[in-house]
Amino acid sequence: MSNLPPEENSLSGAGNVPERDNSQQKLHQLLAGLWEKSRKTVAAHVETLQQAKELAAKNELDEPARTRAIDAAHKLAGVLGTFGLPRGTELAREAEEAFRQAGPIGPAAAERLNSGLNELDRLIQAAVTYPASAPKSGIPS
Amino acid sequence: MTRRILIIDDEDDIRQVAALSLETVAGWHVVLANSGKQGIDRASQEQPDAILLDVMMPEMDGPTTFLKLKANHKTSHIPVLLLTAKVQGPDQRRFADLGVAAILFKPFDPLALAGQISAVLGWKDTA
Repeated sequence: MSNLPPEENSLSGAGNVPERDNSQQKLHQLLAGLWEKSRKTVAAHVETLQQAKELAAKNELDEPARTRAIDAAHKLAGVLGTFGLPRGTELAREAEEAFRQAGPIGPAAAERLNSGLNELDRLIQAAVTYPASAPKSGIPS
Repeated sequence: MTRRILIIDDEDDIRQVAALSLETVAGWHVVLANSGKQGIDRASQEQPDAILLDVMMPEMDGPTTFLKLKANHKTSHIPVLLLTAKVQGPDQRRFADLGVAAILFKPFDPLALAGQISAVLGWKDTA
């Protein structure tokens, strides 16, 4: 069973260079288009987290809302870094961990959660275009 | 050689990114499924060279889907790579004990995904 970190075994060191650059540029363009469509889903997940945070602050977070929040945070943790927002993944993981804790969320944890979700919100709002930087082309333009 | 990969994930964005990545970077043929049940059906019909399987899915999660794939003589031979956003050690050990070919982590680098799969499965034609 292999267990590989993302930075290892990349295709980036293999193959014909101009062909590889072309495929990287093409992938970047395709991902940029996909990000535009995905921003709505991502924003909806953040909204789910904000609502759960407000319910938690009033001690009204029931199990279905907690489960929805954990699910939304988990999905964000997976997708944001893939779209070039690693800080978004960190913040989403912190939120997931906070909502997974049994019992009410304490004042200090609630403050961290509030701060983290606000940062996450700003991050998504700011990422109007595909966040990952375009690969450098080896082909003269 | 054109490889065939089945991606099973309930998250639409992840399915699309992974598919674009594998098709564009490696030129593989990608088949998609949005649930464990649909994935088992597709695996049986399409006979992919490998399966990329999400862990956390509603109704039938990744580990349960994996065990059903291995129990089916039509799909038991297909290598399965788990794709997970779960980073805790106990989760990883539990997944490894299932007998999957590899555990890959979300978020992943779209440019590197095909290389990771090739390296794990010893596919020299694409790595």
